[in-house]
Amino acid sequence: MKPEKDGSRPVVAWVVGAALVAATYIYFLIFAEFAFLELVRDVAGPRLRAVMALLGGGGVAGAWAAARVFRTARAATLLARGLQGCAGAAMLAPFAGGPVAAGAIAAAVGLALGWTTVVLAAALRNGVGGRRLGLCVGAGTGTAYAACNVPALFAAGPATQALLAAGIAILASVLPWPRANGSTEGSETPPPRVNQAHVLAWLAMFLALVWMDSAAFYIIQHTSGLRAVTWGTPGLLWTNAAVHLGAALLAGAVLDRGGRRAVIAGATALLGLGSLALAEVVRLPLPAGWWYTAGVSLYSVALVEYPARTGGAGRAALVFAVAGWIGSALGIGMALDLHRVPATFVFAASGVILLALGRVRGAVALLVGLFVLVPAGQAAEDADAVLRGREVYIAEGCIHCHSQYLRPRVAADVERWGPAGARGTPAGDPPLPGNRRQGPDLSRVGNRRAPEWNRLHLIAPRAFLAGSRMPSYAHLFAAGDQRGEDLVAYLTSLGEDTTGERARMAAAWQPADVAPVAPAEARRLFTLRCAPCHGNDGCGDGPLAVRLTVPPPAWRGTAWRHVPPGPEAEAALARIIKFGLPGLPMAGHEALGDAALRGLARHAETLRQAPDLASLPGAPR
Amino acid sequence: MNGAGANGGRPGGGAAAAHSLGWLVAANAVGVWLAVLLVWPGAGDALAPLTFGRWAPVHLNGQLYGWCALPLVGALLAWFLDPRHPSAERHAALAVGAWSLALFLGCLAWLGGVASGKPFVDWHGWSRPLLPAAMHVLWAFLAAHTWWRRRRLSRVGLAARLAVLGLLLAVPSALYWASDRSVYPAVNPDSGGATGTALLGSTLALVGIYLALPAMLGLAPHAGSRRVAPVLGAWLVCWVIFGLAGKGDVSHHARGQIAALGALLLWIPLLPWAWAGWAWPAGARPWLRAATFWWVLLVTSGWLSFLPGWSERFKFTHVLVGHSHLAMAGFVASVNGAVLVVLTGRAVGSGVFRAWQAGTVALVGLMFALGVVEHLDPAGFLGGDGVARVLLALRLVAGIVLAVASFRWWRETCTR
Repeated sequence: MKPEKDGSRPVVAWVVGAALVAATYIYFLIFAEFAFLELVRDVAGPRLRAVMALLGGGGVAGAWAAARVFRTARAATLLARGLQGCAGAAMLAPFAGGPVAAGAIAAAVGLALGWTTVVLAAALRNGVGGRRLGLCVGAGTGTAYAACNVPALFAAGPATQALLAAGIAILASVLPWPRANGSTEGSETPPPRVNQAHVLAWLAMFLALVWMDSAAFYIIQHTSGLRAVTWGTPGLLWTNAAVHLGAALLAGAVLDRGGRRAVIAGATALLGLGSLALAEVVRLPLPAGWWYTAGVSLYSVALVEYPARTGGAGRAALVFAVAGWIGSALGIGMALDLHRVPATFVFAASGVILLALGRVRGAVALLVGLFVLVPAGQAAEDADAVLRGREVYIAEGCIHCHSQYLRPRVAADVERWGPAGARGTPAGDPPLPGNRRQGPDLSRVGNRRAPEWNRLHLIAPRAFLAGSRMPSYAHLFAAGDQRGEDLVAYLTSLGEDTTGERARMAAAWQPADVAPVAPAEARRLFTLRCAPCHGNDGCGDGPLAVRLTVPPPAWRGTAWRHVPPGPEAEAALARIIKFGLPGLPMAGHEALGDAALRGLARHAETLRQAPDLASLPGAPR
Repeated sequence: MNGAGANGGRPGGGAAAAHSLGWLVAANAVGVWLAVLLVWPGAGDALAPLTFGRWAPVHLNGQLYGWCALPLVGALLAWFLDPRHPSAERHAALAVGAWSLALFLGCLAWLGGVASGKPFVDWHGWSRPLLPAAMHVLWAFLAAHTWWRRRRLSRVGLAARLAVLGLLLAVPSALYWASDRSVYPAVNPDSGGATGTALLGSTLALVGIYLALPAMLGLAPHAGSRRVAPVLGAWLVCWVIFGLAGKGDVSHHARGQIAALGALLLWIPLLPWAWAGWAWPAGARPWLRAATFWWVLLVTSGWLSFLPGWSERFKFTHVLVGHSHLAMAGFVASVNGAVLVVLTGRAVGSGVFRAWQAGTVALVGLMFALGVVEHLDPAGFLGGDGVARVLLALRLVAGIVLAVASFRWWRETCTR
């Protein structure tokens, strides 16, 4: 990298400055924070924390060393050396063969990156000028975050990412160093004076934000369900890229208008809410990762802009060493230990930031939140699965389609979903009688549906019944998300004490003496309602069969397992179709009429007795 | 949008109309999405976790607290605001804005899964104090304007406003209390729904509000005051009946409950008769005629569906959903149409009126048809068989008609 001569065009200087910020951030995001750890995870084994400590220690040492040697006149050279060091360390990373090598490379990565960031931040204001400094940093930061979310780069292997980061660092090291404000070689514009308290306040804010960000990032990255809803598809990645770029440009523009406090407040709110959502203390309308994305971009721009605008290399070193490296280490360590971002921490960190911003009342409000909301969240964590499942039932609005009230005088209610309970106000706070039945009543669902059936049905309802209006709740069962299992536990608990009574009701039931539906209609009903598990021919090979722990048997040529032979066989078969088999995944079809039940029973019997497929009613010949 | 009063409207009328119609448009759009999900449930998978159950309270509460309530808030503003105060319009905008903001945040809460599990009092967790707080903001403006104009009000006018202020002061606390999960009204043990007494009481309260509307809107009583005494007398008699009716978890099989709820039949002629005693502007009259039509259907079908035998057939089915739409999209929307004409001084074109009424007739008719299908073939309905699916698709079409009509209504009222 060579210094440009005086009088270089401001636009070129601005673009080069943004490109250098982008290159440094890309290196940090895709390699130092991501690919490098993936590369050394296996080789470091239990010494991964030591490797990470060396990475952080190298970063602090590199930042300190850069602050010691930095001179504006030598900025181009120092920056080029730092970027070349970054490239070298990245190229070595895929070849780390053991924990010692991994540790050495980690220290080198930290050293080079710590050095580069301090030199860049210290030189930036003199290079691109102060008027559009924020936007320059915003463009660079946003471009870097956006680039890292490009699906091809994001999904590439860690070795590829490492080599790519190395290539970008090398390219950046040969960029012409800008001098947009016409300052002469060796001279520099003095930074504005700020007192120590001011510096400490900003340091505390950045430390809190990096701490929170690192913990949230680590949790999202290592929780498959969260990772899936944050970075799981190309569409999400492109959305993230757009959010990152937009938020970073916005932050840059606001920073150029003196709005650093607003940027920090916005970042705190977004990151704090995202972290609380990750901890399931609050629920947000959009995935927690998206709040996180926007918050990260906002503060990342300010993190570079603050030392670049207000101080020299010493302040840059202080900010990056304390807030950047130590904050990251604390955040990742917290995530490793606790596997979550505690709500207490979010409130405390937000309180610190508000205090640093001079918002004493806001900090007091947060303290109130700390004492009011956090215990509530803690209580939710302590509750058993059934109570948590009831909360999921309420939160998901199940009451808008399902009742939990059996009318004792309505025989159909009792027969389909009974037995009826005690008359009067139903139990629970609040009672959940519902007022609509888009789906069946659930007040006794635990006595007629196995947990396994409920789980599969919640995940893929239309796999059981093509015309079902039930939404898929597969997202509740994503890895790391307990809500699906809690909901299953709650449903299982409903009416579990009435299983015996339900079995007696079923045993006493007889289908009315009506003509069965026509064979063609019976076959249609069978295809719609039974074939997903039993297969079209009763061979037990329906698409759902492989997902059941007790797959349905192949009927052909065998005796019924649960139906005694004799004249009552059809009624017994109809009974099983109507009420299911308690304890097995065989669920009842409670709402079917007796003619349909008889027709289905005869069709099943036909399938059992069919010698070959060609003899089946309606089969192609 | 012109300031209120510019076209003969009322103070605050413009803000109330804009917000209420805005909520009608938004809630109808959500309603269309819900109808889409009932026809093509897979369409919702892409928006998970924003599933049907998360959107349903947005639709219900958007209609109730946005569309249905804000015209009544507009009537309050019209009655209370000091028309001579230079900031009256700004105060109205702030009061209605606070209300809308609370409701908007509530929508975010429901979409986020923060819900009480109690339909229509779904304010829970961090969203629970929002609407009560907005109500306090509204109350503060109403009280302030009453104070500023106290010397220009007649004694009766001042006393009436102070009495209403006293009542209104209790509303936010009552809403907050009612949102508590441990608070639950009496349940009809044979239906799981409201008791006859509760239905009578809530309907009488609404009748009281609707009786007071013309006076609050500042309409002239062209039939003199001859109708006030009999109407007020009937209303008080009905409250006596309410007081005598059984309380607690009483079944609809109890004759006392049937008779008590039957007292509402008295209001089929009385409410329209009371309204007819006021000088409504010409643009409001079609809406009032429609409201009368829906009122007759609403009270009749409400009482019939409470009767033993009928209740068992209709409860939990689309028939009762149709009944709710009959109440909201039919009766309340038609009353609101008349109220908005008075508040803004503008009448919407007949196209909007016809489209809205036709859409509502179709929607309610289809709901009743669905309820019949549901009763005759429950398995087919639950399984999404052909007939149910066709009716749900037609219901979607009717919902789109209403959504388009509501948008045109908003545009004609607020942007001309």
